[in-house]
Amino acid sequence: MKDKLPPLSRRKFLKTSLAAAAVTAGAGTPLVKSLVPGAHASGSRPPKGDLTSHFTACDMCFNRCGMIARVRNGVIEKIDPNPKFLKSRGMICARGNAATNHIYDPDRLKYPLRRTGKRGEGKWERISWEEALDYTAEKMLEIGEKYTRCGMMFIPGSDMQSQLVHRFAEVYGSFNITSHETLCLLSKNRAYLDTIGEVPYPDVFYSKYILIAGANPFEAIITPDTMDFFEARKNGCKIIVLDPRFTKTAAMADEWYQIKPGTDMAFFLALCHVIVKEELYDRDGCCPKMTYGFDEFFLHIQQYTPEWAQEECGIPSEDIIRIAREISAAAPSAMVYPGRRTSDYKDSTQIRRAMAITNALLNNFDKPGGLLALREVGVKTPYYDVPWYDDNPFDRVEAGLVPGLIDHEGSFQLMREAIISGEPYPIKGWFNFKTNFMQTAANRNKTLEMIDHLDFIVNIDIAMTDTAWYSDVVLPGASFLERKDPVSALQGSSACACAVLRDPVVPEMFESRSPFWICQELSKRMGFGDSFDFTMDEYRQKQLDGLDGALEAMLNDGVYYNPSQVYGIYSGSPLKTLSGVKEIFNQRYARSGVDPMPVYRKRRMPGENEFRLVVGRTAFFTHSNTNLELLTEFMEENVLNMHPEPAQNMGLKDGDLVEVKSQVGSGRLRLELTQGIEKQTVYMATGFGALSPQMSLVHNRGASIAEVLEDYHDEISGNMAMHETLVTVRKVA
Amino acid sequence: MKKKYCMVIDSSVCIDCKACMVSCKVQHKVPRGFWRNWIKNSDPDFTLGKYTSMHFQPGGCMQCDNPTCVYACPSGATFKDDETGIIHVNEDLCIGCGNCVKACPYHARYRHPVKRVPDKCDFCRERLDMGLLPACVDTCPTKARNFGDRNDPDSDVSRLLREQETVRIVSRPVDTEPNMFYLSSTMPMDWPGPVEYPAAHQAMVGVVNPLVKVAVGLSGLGVAAMFLKQLFTSDEASHEEKKEEV
Repeated sequence: MKDKLPPLSRRKFLKTSLAAAAVTAGAGTPLVKSLVPGAHASGSRPPKGDLTSHFTACDMCFNRCGMIARVRNGVIEKIDPNPKFLKSRGMICARGNAATNHIYDPDRLKYPLRRTGKRGEGKWERISWEEALDYTAEKMLEIGEKYTRCGMMFIPGSDMQSQLVHRFAEVYGSFNITSHETLCLLSKNRAYLDTIGEVPYPDVFYSKYILIAGANPFEAIITPDTMDFFEARKNGCKIIVLDPRFTKTAAMADEWYQIKPGTDMAFFLALCHVIVKEELYDRDGCCPKMTYGFDEFFLHIQQYTPEWAQEECGIPSEDIIRIAREISAAAPSAMVYPGRRTSDYKDSTQIRRAMAITNALLNNFDKPGGLLALREVGVKTPYYDVPWYDDNPFDRVEAGLVPGLIDHEGSFQLMREAIISGEPYPIKGWFNFKTNFMQTAANRNKTLEMIDHLDFIVNIDIAMTDTAWYSDVVLPGASFLERKDPVSALQGSSACACAVLRDPVVPEMFESRSPFWICQELSKRMGFGDSFDFTMDEYRQKQLDGLDGALEAMLNDGVYYNPSQVYGIYSGSPLKTLSGVKEIFNQRYARSGVDPMPVYRKRRMPGENEFRLVVGRTAFFTHSNTNLELLTEFMEENVLNMHPEPAQNMGLKDGDLVEVKSQVGSGRLRLELTQGIEKQTVYMATGFGALSPQMSLVHNRGASIAEVLEDYHDEISGNMAMHETLVTVRKVA
Repeated sequence: MKKKYCMVIDSSVCIDCKACMVSCKVQHKVPRGFWRNWIKNSDPDFTLGKYTSMHFQPGGCMQCDNPTCVYACPSGATFKDDETGIIHVNEDLCIGCGNCVKACPYHARYRHPVKRVPDKCDFCRERLDMGLLPACVDTCPTKARNFGDRNDPDSDVSRLLREQETVRIVSRPVDTEPNMFYLSSTMPMDWPGPVEYPAAHQAMVGVVNPLVKVAVGLSGLGVAAMFLKQLFTSDEASHEEKKEEV
């Protein structure tokens, strides 16, 4: 198969692929046809064949909710929730329900491909696995020899097999590893690490007062928090939301404040001002023995009055004062919700620090209804030798560029800069598994520029994503329903510290292979086969060493719970901070020239006829995983939300095709007017405007956030900063 | 004992996540563009400022005790199951006239584009037989949808109906006596449309006595049987061919 892949209609393709699936499973019955939407020949006759049930864990996002897959004649017919799975409270969201669509997606990659034309031109040749692995190993060794082993960048994804890809990267010899978190929550992690010494879990279930800012948990579903908000509310919990957009979280809250984007810190500093001034904080929890730098903070906070904050963030000072009093009264069973995707501004870590400090004043850490400490699950990471390469550089390529880089996560954005500049040393290869930075990282044109500096890109995925489209070798990965995966430890709220694993529900389709197998095969070819010389069962056994009955529990119930201590884990022992107590004043920041306490600075504001572009998502898509027929029915393409008032001033109408343009790129999409957005802000959803024609449902539909977003980074953690972009909007004639 | 299945919905916890809609779609292989269930929403009133809110209302076939669709069906294909209270469609009896689709004030039925018969929520009959909850109820993240037997005093739905106030949504001209209950309040309320009975049926209901109705019904059945006979005498292969053209 040379040149372009022949066009296949979705229906025709699906029939072929399903027939293939049935043959693989050893049962080719007409029932298979019934999975084809709109083309099945069912009457009222009951389907033939037994329905079998298999436990698995969802991978449509990163929550790993418990699932039961119902299989008939080798085909997954339906996904149901696992009622014993406490983390997901016995539910499966729209994305999880669409997992059948994910595995039987007509756009799935079927066999290894090698690029024959220019990158992005779409010319591919089908090659055998043998060829693909030999070629990849050869290229990786070549890069290792010419540019040291650190000349390969690894992005191992956030999947249950990612730990093995991570291991592969380290054994190969590169420490230039980054993951999707660099576009997600590193700034939050940094902020909490630097305040209480670890990244906590919110105990939503028992909370009495929750303040949500910079998060949208009812649309970006996170288990069990999303479900627990309602349980908490039934028990009298009050939920306050700050958001420039009227999200569904805002729509369901007790109070919603349309805060000006990027001014959250002003609100939280003012909240702290009131709590400190009125002495509403927990005296025991904020005494010098329990906190570091409370006195400095007392002085620091004087300037941030509620009246001042009102000017900045647009929330009336009397509301700020009232919220401060209410949340303190509910403490310690009250919280500022830590949030998830916090990669928004250049000072994201400091914004989240302001929130973490508010939590410290509420003294809610390690307490019911507050923020929970990490619990013991007991799943181990099997030991492996990391080889030493003499010629490797001393550190990561972006080391030292920001003061708070998280070691094993790095910063994709700073790595990208380093690759383009070639400084401090060259990176010439990219090993990618199941991430799609071409569609999710800001400034796509710069990612394309980075690609021009790379000699070799290999990509494991189940679909031809935009990132795969620009790769040199594309390896078809097995979907999560077809794989045998290692054990994964999870924690939710107080309900669960648990472990899950996956066994194949159906055999691998076409020529797809698991990343574990791929890493094993590549290791053999590159001379470190010993490091991957084990079976999945052996690996799991090592992971579960000392956890008697865990494997049986997972096989019988789909989940294993560890009844470890929930609250008061730190009672009497020091926190993992430098001072051993909550650091309101961060000593390490002070030493490295960073503001030791959050300082509010005005950010670049939109000028006349300019808007701040904010991005986000819906409850039925995960990032760029939008190419699903079942789910695009809810949203066929993204739209640009704008307030009717500026639209009227600019002569724009609902439904107009507009061009949204930043300094780095532009996109075209339809305008949708709503009063539910701050007047100087526009919004669009992620996951559309794909470049790859094999993302057939989202290719050239709507606009891509990656194209329009300007690339800024959080100055402490190096996390992408996605809400700094200012855009102009004009009607396309 | 006879069952009386019903759904009690706490729409105040629905977050419009669409899980019930996708779950149903996969379970019943509902074609693109059609749905057996839905989530409706109220319009936010932004003049309320910080108290602006939205209400999301899950729904589906209301499994009415006064089922206008059953009355409008000339062939007896649409019927209320005496044992469960669920309204079913017997696809073998259906003549495809579409009267039931019009007669439902909730727009809970659609004509299946391939099967050419009305399709609607049946509380997942096959799942109930397997001891599973209906797909939408099982998957619901916030457990807005509750399902069970009203005749069982110990069921969750009976308890909810006993302990809490509920509202039902009815169309203006007809109280359909739906078995879909909403806890204390729900929005929007004004969406059910009129009940459209076929003209001949209306005349019949008004003028003709029940005996004649039975006779006409039986003759309708005869017509349906003839139609079915025609349908099934063709061999399987050409049958398939025909479906492909659709």
